[in-house]
Amino acid sequence: MSSIAIVFRKEIREILRDRRTLTAIVLAALATPLVLFVISQVATKTAAQVYTVGYSGTIPAGLDVLFSATGLKLELVADPPAAARQQVDLGLVFSASQIDEYYDPTRQSAQIADTRLQTILGKYDAAKIAASLQEHGVDPGILNPVPVRVHPLSSPVQAAGDSFLSFFLPYILITMTLTGGLSAALDCSAGERERKTLESLLLTPAPRSHVLVGKILAVSAISLASAVVAIGSMLIALTQISFTGTPGSSLHVGLNAQATLIMVWLAILLAGTFSSLTVALGTLARNFRQGQAYATPLYFITIFPAAIVLFIPDFNPSLAYYLIPILNAVLVLRDVIVHNTAQWQAIALTSASLILAGGLCWYAALRLFTREALLVRS
Amino acid sequence: MSQAAVKVDRLEKTLGKTHVLRGVSLEARSGEIYGLLGPNGAGKTTTLRVVCTLLTPDAGSVEVLGFETRAEAAEVRRRVGVVTAEIGVYPRLTARENITYFAELTGVAGGDLRRRVDAVVERLDMATFADQRAESLSSGQKQKVAIARAIVHDPPVLMFDEPTSNLDVLASREIREFMVESRERGKCVIFSTHVLHDAERLCDRVSILHQGGVVASGTTAEVRGTRRDLEDAFLELVGAAR
Repeated sequence: MSSIAIVFRKEIREILRDRRTLTAIVLAALATPLVLFVISQVATKTAAQVYTVGYSGTIPAGLDVLFSATGLKLELVADPPAAARQQVDLGLVFSASQIDEYYDPTRQSAQIADTRLQTILGKYDAAKIAASLQEHGVDPGILNPVPVRVHPLSSPVQAAGDSFLSFFLPYILITMTLTGGLSAALDCSAGERERKTLESLLLTPAPRSHVLVGKILAVSAISLASAVVAIGSMLIALTQISFTGTPGSSLHVGLNAQATLIMVWLAILLAGTFSSLTVALGTLARNFRQGQAYATPLYFITIFPAAIVLFIPDFNPSLAYYLIPILNAVLVLRDVIVHNTAQWQAIALTSASLILAGGLCWYAALRLFTREALLVRS
Repeated sequence: MSQAAVKVDRLEKTLGKTHVLRGVSLEARSGEIYGLLGPNGAGKTTTLRVVCTLLTPDAGSVEVLGFETRAEAAEVRRRVGVVTAEIGVYPRLTARENITYFAELTGVAGGDLRRRVDAVVERLDMATFADQRAESLSSGQKQKVAIARAIVHDPPVLMFDEPTSNLDVLASREIREFMVESRERGKCVIFSTHVLHDAERLCDRVSILHQGGVVASGTTAEVRGTRRDLEDAFLELVGAAR
């Protein structure tokens, strides 16, 4: 058996007997459905939430019906501007010539109530104008000289599911490929120094590069397993949990075969890259705790690319962006999930970029692993 | 007289800004226990680390059974077993798994693997705890695991670096007995210690290191000379070198 295989087998055996790593994998499997359940509850509650509108004056005929149909509850108050600060979500003063609206934009409930109010008023105005035109014998169709018929190419439910998945899948993939193997990476690098086994290991005739590859492969395998478990539980949870407020309705979140294959390929590349990086950081550290301190910034750095997709959903990058490690994986996943297209050039660039990044991290780890200071500092 | 198993010639080594070894030379033969004596910081551990290829010499040369440490490091490692005061073991592996891991990494394979591991377990009287996880073992038992992994590939050269410093009286005695037994089996045993009483009882020849250089070398009797014991000789030699 080659020394790579010997080291790999030993590391896997140790990892599987390490409660920390196993707990992390199990928690990842449980935490994802739990988080999604909480999100679904919040989404459902927000959709069904009724907001209170404090008003004074006389409500125009018919408008009150629209209010109650849109989840806005009318409540007569003496001073709508004052009430809108605390007591109610929105204040309205109805007069003969206009409606004065008062709301506090810093309150989220006021923002949602305002959005609903604008929708109601838009519909009400359109209905009033149409009725008035009809009274004067004018076809209300002149208000809409170029009618638009909308033909969605995919179902809105599918689009919502894809959009949701395009953020959460990269997020889970990156987070789990990084954190799933982190404990194992630090244990097999910084841990070797901490428990004084490093010297004995380096005394064996096994080439240090082989020892390092065996360790990185073992950490990669655990990272990959963590990601697969977490993503699997997420996909199952998404088919079971309702996000629309309608009981029994769930997002359509199935991944097709192509998307699944690409995701697995990216997971392998990310696991390899992160494992090399975390083993390098662990080799730099004197003990497990110091290794954790070195690795902490990685949480923040790696999560930014997923955030880009969340905050800039229409981000339309040039091919050059696919050279940036991690961001490229997020973009490829978004392409394949939301746009349902696999841009092979982008995937090739992404693969090359991640392989290069992983190779550089491996080289750095090897340099650190073979320097004399490693032993002298021990 | 037998040929030197370990030959260190004018060894120089600087670590950071410290000139740790200043022309150390010594020769240890098969079938003897060679003592490397000196106060803390004298350069004993650094010398051993260069001999076993963990560190590279800045100048001078080291040969182990004819293999030069810089050019043929892997060959040297196959022929050397090192036991240190640090009895680090893999806590989640059993004692037997710990030994097997190192045996495999030193090239022991196939049917020979089980035979060698069983033999070393029996030889060090480890059968009662061989299948327990190392995290549950006592210091003495862990030290036996550390010795077992160092000798499982049956190396002709054994190096002990302060092997008894963390052990109780009983475990220390077992280590000393093991060194004597290894000598009788024709191994070259290099024993680094600052416990001069142990050195006087065990070693055939010694070198006294001080501030990175050898201040005396020879048989125990030669180094002791007319003084009462090795400790007196050591204090006199080290004091004269200050």
